[in-house]
Amino acid sequence: MSEAPPTGIAGKSAPAPRQPSRRTSLWAFRGALTRRTQAAVGFGTSMLLLLVWEAAARAGLVNATFLPSPVAVLNAMLLMVQKQNLLWHAGVSTLRVWTAFALAAAMAVPVGILMSSYRVVGAALEPIIDFIRYLPVPALVPLSIIWFGVGESTKLYLLWLGTFFQLVLLVADDMRRVPQEYVEIAYTLGARTPQVLRDVAFRAMLPGLVDNLRITLGWCWTYLIIAEIVAADSGIGFVIWTARRYMKTPEVMAGVVVIGIIGLVTDQLLRAAHRRAFRYL
Amino acid sequence: MTEPYLAFDGVTKRFGALDVVGQPFDLTIARNDFIVFLGPSGCGKTTLMRMVGGLDTPTGGDIRLEGVPVGGPDHRRGMVFQSYSSFPWLTVAENVLFGMRYRTDLTEQQKRARRDHYLDLVGLYEFSDAYPNKVSGGMRQRVAIARTLAAGSEVLLMDEPFGALDAQRREKLQVELRGIQRRDTKTVVFVTHDVEEAVFLADRVIVFSKRPARLVADIDVTAQLGAERPLELRDSPEFFRLRNGVLKLLREAAGDDE
Repeated sequence: MSEAPPTGIAGKSAPAPRQPSRRTSLWAFRGALTRRTQAAVGFGTSMLLLLVWEAAARAGLVNATFLPSPVAVLNAMLLMVQKQNLLWHAGVSTLRVWTAFALAAAMAVPVGILMSSYRVVGAALEPIIDFIRYLPVPALVPLSIIWFGVGESTKLYLLWLGTFFQLVLLVADDMRRVPQEYVEIAYTLGARTPQVLRDVAFRAMLPGLVDNLRITLGWCWTYLIIAEIVAADSGIGFVIWTARRYMKTPEVMAGVVVIGIIGLVTDQLLRAAHRRAFRYL
Repeated sequence: MTEPYLAFDGVTKRFGALDVVGQPFDLTIARNDFIVFLGPSGCGKTTLMRMVGGLDTPTGGDIRLEGVPVGGPDHRRGMVFQSYSSFPWLTVAENVLFGMRYRTDLTEQQKRARRDHYLDLVGLYEFSDAYPNKVSGGMRQRVAIARTLAAGSEVLLMDEPFGALDAQRREKLQVELRGIQRRDTKTVVFVTHDVEEAVFLADRVIVFSKRPARLVADIDVTAQLGAERPLELRDSPEFFRLRNGVLKLLREAAGDDE
């Protein structure tokens, strides 16, 4: 570090050859990192951010009404678990997400596969799906309340709306990317079309499909909060919205953090399951 | 007059406005012959081979196997591709077994016996439980060959199967493939643009012009080099002479536009 960086114009003086060291290996352009290092760096950065935040709050640099300290948020969360049934609300929200998501996936997977397997299905559905896909879900809230009232079905409908149309195109794309060679090998082994679909094309697309399901599940949470803010008396969205009304910022943030934690844990579990199931990749 | 084993009879092929095989193409292939289609890239030789497999349909004329026009694909005519030749989600042994998945005339026991036989034949028995991503590119091609043989293919259709391999593996597999074809007595239609590979493997080399594909030469290699193809043959003057002759034909066929 004591060496002055080369200041000459390119061509005048060659830069001194770099000494290989631990430092450069961490910063190698497009270099690899071990799993453990990655986890440590990720954890360290998060902790650092929390520390800075906590310090800023304690030093009075920020107004606690707007940005309460992490410790205050944590305290609020514990209190909410004891007094406000926070875990029950989290459970309700999770159940809503998974129900709507399962419904969307159960419909999107076959439709998406058909769209790529038969060009005529794709040609028929693509314009409609593309149109609806670009409609912002919040814009459809009034319509869905007129159709479904303010009960559970409105929330499921909104979540389904937000995921189905995205997912169906992703599934179609997964199917489209299955190498034609796999399909043709199966045919020359005497398979018929349904067998090719089931035994080869579906198996070939499965890793990509599971990945896309995982990503889409995350989007579901975005729409959940919208649905629960508009019309609900339960769920994390409801908890956040109620706390906001009384300017209880720590509680609002606690609700947000709970969503973040659920998302992080689900995502990591699904990633681990993916690695286990598709060891051959 | 006896019916030839495999016959192209006035075959033409158009893809939309593109003439792949313009002039009607005629060729007869004897049973258990190793035929190599040699020609410039994109000339239409692959399309002609795919039509034997039933993966493409001729626009005009027909292709007959033992006198019967070929329709769609079935297990008697198996394909080996250059890439994506084995299924990555199945182990080596499962890939070979998959070849017989749709054979209802074999018992499970027979299938397992055939699987082991062909795994052994291509020297992959000890890699039975490995997934394709854990074995070399050459082994993946052997998996594909074993799978196609296990399926009961009588005609092996091979689309530049060794094109992605390094020179050493390629030579080794060529020797093995020629041996398997002689022992198992299979008819092979092998597509390549590598002259040396063509001459080393083939009983007959069919040289094609650039697209639209037209037969330029039909060379009887076995008449000149014999049916046995040991690796040393590559160093012999006869091999060189024939290779250079074919190379010259191919250059003329490809034209000067490259």
